[in-house]
Amino acid sequence: MSFAAELPTRRVEAWKYSDLRAALGDAPHVLREGRDIIERLAPGTQSMDIPAGEARLFVERMDDDAYLDARAFEWRVAEGATLTRVVVQTGAATALSTARVTLASGAKLRQFVLAEGGKLARIETHVALEGEGAEVELNGIYMAARGRHADLTSVITHAVPNGVTRQLIKGVARKGGRGVFQGKILVERGAQKTNARQYHHGLLLEDGAEIYAKPELLIHADDVQCAHGNTAGGLDESALFYLRSRGVPESQARSLLIEAFLAEAIPQDLPEALREELLGRVRAWLESSS
Amino acid sequence: MLDIANLQVAVADKEIIKGVTLSVPAGEVHAIMGPNGSGKSTLAYALAGRDGYAVTGGTATLDGADILALTPEERAAKGLFLSFQYPVEIPGLSTLAFLKASLNAQRVARGEGEMPAMELLKLMRAKAEALKISDEMLKRPLNVGFSGGEKKRFEALQMAVLAPRFAILDETDSGLDIDALKLVAENVNALRGPDRGMLVITHYQRLLDYIKPDRVHVLAQGRIVASGGPELALELEREGYDKYLRAA
Repeated sequence: MSFAAELPTRRVEAWKYSDLRAALGDAPHVLREGRDIIERLAPGTQSMDIPAGEARLFVERMDDDAYLDARAFEWRVAEGATLTRVVVQTGAATALSTARVTLASGAKLRQFVLAEGGKLARIETHVALEGEGAEVELNGIYMAARGRHADLTSVITHAVPNGVTRQLIKGVARKGGRGVFQGKILVERGAQKTNARQYHHGLLLEDGAEIYAKPELLIHADDVQCAHGNTAGGLDESALFYLRSRGVPESQARSLLIEAFLAEAIPQDLPEALREELLGRVRAWLESSS
Repeated sequence: MLDIANLQVAVADKEIIKGVTLSVPAGEVHAIMGPNGSGKSTLAYALAGRDGYAVTGGTATLDGADILALTPEERAAKGLFLSFQYPVEIPGLSTLAFLKASLNAQRVARGEGEMPAMELLKLMRAKAEALKISDEMLKRPLNVGFSGGEKKRFEALQMAVLAPRFAILDETDSGLDIDALKLVAENVNALRGPDRGMLVITHYQRLLDYIKPDRVHVLAQGRIVASGGPELALELEREGYDKYLRAA
């Protein structure tokens, strides 16, 4: 059987907006059965445990402009431990990442993804809250210039009571660029007192920009607090006029507003140098693609 | 200073301002009063250059230079300032960053070069203190979650820092309690001077107790139907706009 035959078609719900067949073609790969497609494409799964009570920061940079970069991770975060994960995807090639994170009681995952998109870039995150009182902060921004495809996909499963999820994804796309957000939050029957919020806001910067969003909240418990919001639109014209009326030239005013829009999703409490790097990426993108 | 002659403005193809003529010399403060829907805010937006406010006739000059052909940012660099009736909330952009971008853009456009960062910070802090605005508030996103009164204080702050040649204040009193109104008026009055003009737009006479105008004009149904001294505002407060609405 050819490799392409094993790739998901766009009829597969989880891949409806990202055409992996077109991005990879009939490249030869050794496939193992029964795993997530990205895990099968990756050279192996990197497994890590964060010991109880400890805190770890991982920064992954996916910046290859020429070759497929596929990565798979598995993290188990023990009681009261914190995993902070930052993914910076900037390369023009196809970039695929999948992570499975399980959280014990009181454990925290704080993730931030900056995705500039590639031929096809997909950062997939699967989180299972398996211990009570676990917390997830899953933020991200995408910035899709012409010819770039950026896909942020996540599945967060609340299996036990008293879990907290905060998700804020913001993205922008220019003409010929495509942004995708697929976010599922599943609250299982026993996960009472879950507190989950999911927001995605997209800005279409020009005609011909594309943003696809599929937010999903599936709630099987009856005593939960859940909220979600999803918008896609253009830049706020009244804000643009406000800045211009104060003397800021239109192109600079647009950049300031887009930067402000995106910066809201970048966590305040990341190490300062890292936060500056991310803001620098946003500014560089605004300068290079405008 | 600001000279408007037979100005006509349409919004969505509907004529709102139907030939307004008005001159505010340097050093004077004029008030425009009028009922809701008379075109007060339309006049303000058209002078500031907002998209969708189409000037269909007439002229407007500041210090003799045509402003209608300029972009909003060019008008600002020439010294025109509009205090908004409804200041816009901008999440993710601090007041400090907003003011820095505004002042420096204007200075660069005028060939003055950017203000050194420390000097700028000192200036902003001094003006903020006069308006009882804390350092912490300057760092918060512009207008986000602010009360009506706080937003107007921040408009007054912007005006004080940008020190415009000519200021248009659109319904500065709306949303203000009496203490905030006094504070804002005090700071507006501090900017009055022989080289600066102001146009104060208001529905109510109350604001004019604190910002005393040299002249008062009544705008009704897109036209100036009466002009006079400060006593005209008192008469309007007593008698309302009815007789002007019937006459217009």
